[in-house]
Amino acid sequence: MAKGIFIIVEQRNLEIRKVSLELLSQGRKIADQTGDPLVAIILGQGIDGLAATAAASGADKVILVDDAKLADYTTGAYTSVLNKIIRKEEPQAVLMGNTAIGKDLAPRLAQRLGVGLASDCTGMETDAASFLVFKRPIYAGKAFEYLTSNVRPILATVRPNTFALAAPDASRSAEVVKEAADIDAADLRAILKEVAIAASKRPDLTEANIIVSGGRGMKGPENYVILEALADVIGAAVGASRAAVDSGWKEHKFQVGQTGKTVAPTLYIACGISGAIQHLAGMGSSKFIVAINKDPEANIFNVADYGIVGDLFDVVPVLTEEFKKIVK
Amino acid sequence: MAATREVYWNIEGEHWLYLLFIFALIFFGYGVYKRVQLWKLGQPENRWKDVGQGIKDIIVYGLGHKRILKDPYPGLMHFGIFIGFLFLAFATAIITLQADFHLEIFHGWLYLFIKLTSNFFGLIALIAILVAAYRRYIQKPDRLDNKPDDAITLGLLFTILITGFLIQGVRIATIPDPWSAWAFVGQWTAIPLKAMLNEAQLLSLHRFLWWFHLVLAMAFIGYFSHSKLFHILLGLANQFMRNRGPIGIPELIDFEDESIETFGKSQLREFSWKALFNTDVCLRCGRCQDNCPAYLSGKHLSPKRIIQDMKVLMEETGVALEAAKEKATSVHADGEAAAASEGEEPTGRALIGEVIPEDDLWACTTCRSCEQQCPVFVEHVDKTIDMRRNLVLMETRFPGEAQLAFKNMENNGNPWGIGWSTRADYLTGVGVKTFAEDPGAEYLYWPGCSGAFDARNQKVSSALVKLLNAAGVRFAILGNEEKCCGDSARKLGNEYLFFSLASENIEAMNGYGVKKIITQCPHCYNLLKNEYPQFGGKFEVIHHTEFLLDLVKSGKLKLSRAAGKSVTYHDSCYLGRYNQIYEQPRELLKTVGLSIKEMAHTGEKSFCCGAGGGRMWLEEHEGLRINEMRTDEAIAVKTDYVGTACPFCLTMIADGIAAREVGEQLKALDIAEILEQAL
Repeated sequence: MAKGIFIIVEQRNLEIRKVSLELLSQGRKIADQTGDPLVAIILGQGIDGLAATAAASGADKVILVDDAKLADYTTGAYTSVLNKIIRKEEPQAVLMGNTAIGKDLAPRLAQRLGVGLASDCTGMETDAASFLVFKRPIYAGKAFEYLTSNVRPILATVRPNTFALAAPDASRSAEVVKEAADIDAADLRAILKEVAIAASKRPDLTEANIIVSGGRGMKGPENYVILEALADVIGAAVGASRAAVDSGWKEHKFQVGQTGKTVAPTLYIACGISGAIQHLAGMGSSKFIVAINKDPEANIFNVADYGIVGDLFDVVPVLTEEFKKIVK
Repeated sequence: MAATREVYWNIEGEHWLYLLFIFALIFFGYGVYKRVQLWKLGQPENRWKDVGQGIKDIIVYGLGHKRILKDPYPGLMHFGIFIGFLFLAFATAIITLQADFHLEIFHGWLYLFIKLTSNFFGLIALIAILVAAYRRYIQKPDRLDNKPDDAITLGLLFTILITGFLIQGVRIATIPDPWSAWAFVGQWTAIPLKAMLNEAQLLSLHRFLWWFHLVLAMAFIGYFSHSKLFHILLGLANQFMRNRGPIGIPELIDFEDESIETFGKSQLREFSWKALFNTDVCLRCGRCQDNCPAYLSGKHLSPKRIIQDMKVLMEETGVALEAAKEKATSVHADGEAAAASEGEEPTGRALIGEVIPEDDLWACTTCRSCEQQCPVFVEHVDKTIDMRRNLVLMETRFPGEAQLAFKNMENNGNPWGIGWSTRADYLTGVGVKTFAEDPGAEYLYWPGCSGAFDARNQKVSSALVKLLNAAGVRFAILGNEEKCCGDSARKLGNEYLFFSLASENIEAMNGYGVKKIITQCPHCYNLLKNEYPQFGGKFEVIHHTEFLLDLVKSGKLKLSRAAGKSVTYHDSCYLGRYNQIYEQPRELLKTVGLSIKEMAHTGEKSFCCGAGGGRMWLEEHEGLRINEMRTDEAIAVKTDYVGTACPFCLTMIADGIAAREVGEQLKALDIAEILEQAL
């Protein structure tokens, strides 16, 4: 009999990613209702210390697979290891974040396990009739579908920022099991040589709860400091419109829009962005949009929940000062 | 005594020339055979379609040099060489008839005519060859690359002409006749020869030159099919076989046909023989490259290089197959080797990725300027789309940005992913009825995704609606039943997505019995008009510039004239080169009193805005921005407006104006918006 809700915990630089903690928090609630054990699976190298974090966030059992070959994510190695563990443990459900890694890994696992996949879910509940019911937006968020499956395990990826984080309980402890990394040679097709990342202490655009974004109205790369000041006060990521990226003020990885990143934060502050359709396509599903623009005719005001007609160079510093007073 | 001369004067043993001629013919024939074998690597395709039009095209584009002369400097140079050798070939033919077939025609006025024209046009060809060498080796324009063949051919032609004139000069110096003045170049040549040499020397020099010239002429024939000289025939053949009618209609893929195992083309031998033939027709003149927005903006893509690289692969494939065959016969395992050679590149070099970089395939805006400028009608763009199809449908390998556009088109029927159920909102908001509400409407108004969703282009829609209402036109929209026409999807190689969008649109329109369609988007226009018939959608499709001009001419639309403002019109590729609509938008602009100034690239040579071929949805990572280059051209002519007739062009030029921060002096407006001001 299949048993257990398994969370594939993503870690980066030996730190558990927020989306995995969110899954553990929600998983705990559901496990309490169904009586299933909540199991965290962590892959990596030198990850012993993460077991306690997973336990504090709600895991009853932590499976650690510690191996040099798993130090960095590679599709083949992770698939190979997880496939074997899941086949052995036969859990009811396997969940992971709908992150770059989740999107890469989940479809492969589904294929190996011969099960379906509910991808990019924005809700997960349990009820009497079905073990787990997943909520997915369809038609660009115009409607939702609710999915469940009779096949075990149920495999799903969940969009970041979907579940609230529960406060960690340091007194909790979990059974820690270490598994050897049994990787099929045929699966080791790619070797990660080097990861080149530009250092930034701000959150990732696609994960951020708040994004402060600047467009052509920024007038130059040097002026982004005023957006960064605001972003740092409210814990936001900094984005840019295509116009600003084209002008060379910001790198392409900061670009929000049709040909850049698609984001859906709770709050999107658009500064000096006219709101061309190409930009709206990348941020239109943000929960709240605040627009700051000199031009009252700017299209961004048509989609904004709050609009400030004014020079961003006057408005943004005032906002920063005011937020400083509120956010301690 | 009639004017003539003795053909084999001072020559003995002339019958040896027949032996030489036979050798030359063998070399010629061997060259043709080799090339034909290579072309036969391709798939069958019927290009023998319209003989009458084919002959007309040979006359206009071949003999008439219509496209070659559009680039005056190299055009005139080429024409000089062409006309010289045309008359010399005529002269040689007449002499052959006289000397070898004993037809007594080489005398009288024909003799004098030949003497004069050979001298005059021969001299022009000689000058043109010098100009060609100067251009190729001293000026070195970027679009030319030099191979030994170029130098050999120029040297051969030059030496043939020089020795020809010298032979004539020696003859005139030795036995002047009353008609020497007709051969004026020969007469000039005779003066120094006569002064320097005695008669015996002249006679032996003549004999030497005569044989030398003859050997060169035979070398010309033998070398012909192994060199660029072959273009004299291949170019004409390609003009004869060119595609006529609407250009750039991608090949139909039948998704119902379950026997098809691969989509698109990833291997040389999947292309038709005509595609391989094209690579031999290409003379490397570089007109395509010189007009390619991708190349000019610093992308790696060059249409010329693609064709030439395919040619190299074709030759390598020929050699590799030959080697495989030999190996197979030596081990008596023909069947096995033949089987192994099917389905993979025998050279071991992949067409996509190794011969042609993938980025090159994605850099193309499908503006078709390359094809428009090509004097011999080489077809570049269809090959690109065939290869994109393979990458998308078979390999799922395409720029990341395209994935979002594809997904959005799939889910919401528009590239931005805006809710499909809001498509009608803007236009119904300005009072337009849907076909469901007004089934008797004469015209379907097709705003396209931009006209329906994009705030900037919604203004164009509203202007057009006002104009149509002012002219009393009864029209309606499909509303939420309209979907993206699928142009970007198709040109990006996602034929399957295109097919499903097109099928749904055609079904919706046929359901309402739509007959006539007005649209403001040249991409929708071209697709609905020229490509939907492939899928059973047969409609009369009218671009708004055509329609508005008709309304103005018939007096139904009355517009005021206001003098003083100036405009430059940016030709949309899909309107101009794809559908030959160049004049209607300009006439409309003149109607409202605007003075038109043309940009550096205009009409057939118009420079793409950068958004065609699905590039609208992709990032431009390499080189300059095409839209900004085009905007710079518009800024340079110093007008009040840039007139556009395409939503993509409008977006791209408006972006360019914003990037250059010249919004105060230059406004990008659609023709409909300009006309709206004159209501």
